[in-house]
Amino acid sequence: MKRIVISMLASLLLVEVAAAHDPVFGLGPHTLFKDGYEISPQLHSAKRGNAVQNELGLELVYGLTGNWSAGVEIPLSLVADAGAASGGLGDISVFTKWRFWRNDMPGAQESAALLFKLIGDTGDDTRSPALGTGTTDGIVGLAWGYESRRWYRWASLRYRQNGTDANGLQRGDMMRLDLVGGIRLKQTGYLEPDMVWLLELNGEYGRRARLNGVEVANSGGTQWFVSPGIFWTYRNFAIKAGVQIPIYDDLNGNQQASDYRALMVFEWHN
Amino acid sequence: MKKYLLTLFLILVLTPAAWAAGAQYVMRVDGLACPYCAYGVEKKFKAIEGVKKLDVDLDKGIVTVDVEDGVEFTDEQMKKLFEDSGFTFRSMTRKDLE
Repeated sequence: MKRIVISMLASLLLVEVAAAHDPVFGLGPHTLFKDGYEISPQLHSAKRGNAVQNELGLELVYGLTGNWSAGVEIPLSLVADAGAASGGLGDISVFTKWRFWRNDMPGAQESAALLFKLIGDTGDDTRSPALGTGTTDGIVGLAWGYESRRWYRWASLRYRQNGTDANGLQRGDMMRLDLVGGIRLKQTGYLEPDMVWLLELNGEYGRRARLNGVEVANSGGTQWFVSPGIFWTYRNFAIKAGVQIPIYDDLNGNQQASDYRALMVFEWHN
Repeated sequence: MKKYLLTLFLILVLTPAAWAAGAQYVMRVDGLACPYCAYGVEKKFKAIEGVKKLDVDLDKGIVTVDVEDGVEFTDEQMKKLFEDSGFTFRSMTRKDLE
């Protein structure tokens, strides 16, 4: 059971493409300019009961066109659970985002994008606690966003399909819904530091895990988080940070809900 | 002969074109909302030889570019540059810098 919990924790921690001027936890439609590249070291932290996972991730993104980017995320994980700890390479993922619709207005932009992400099984799942899920998983996401000089609004939906590991465990597929608002209190100039305050509502619904085809009673369910965050930028450097605070959970069987998740991203593009 | 040469010299020196220190393009661009996102525009222009100065007015959606004498921009070129940056080029005006 503990293995299932840790495996699920590992799958929850990874953030799906924290690119550019997008929400901290939710998904936004931003892509990188053509031939631009982005380097983003990230610090993730999550706690659920006795299980704690800290992760240092490195995300690299390249702009294929002005509306299409692709990248890779390389996580280094440190997982601790009830006295035992493991550290090392987590599950590497590759992703692509395509902004298929854009409506540019004076001082504002509205757009929508599709995300595809493939998460490999590079993390060692034989360690205890496991560093990876031991499966190859896929994520498809749809994001909409509106940004102006003052207000920001985003909405996104993601579906994660999880594979089955060598022991016959299939973590339940997961659906995520994110609604995000943001405000720039002071409209600064092009060469000045810029700050946007964010407030996210993140919902997650997970199906029950299956072990050799049999449903695991203590798995799956619903959780909701409120997540305050910031997006600070200066020129081509950005810092994004936020904390997911659980406000509601309806988890199946006997499970511990998330205590918190935190994320800090340093982003540089050129 | 000296008189003619002096006249020719004065014509060349006093002609506005001879004094022009390049040109300024003022472009109206839609979609510009944040400075971080607009950085791609700056990068694209700085890769063009002869671009001396660039300014982005986010509130007005105006990109101003000063170029050296002889550098010319076309609408098609600007449409592509801004599309590659993730924005929409609308129009531009040009004036000689003195």
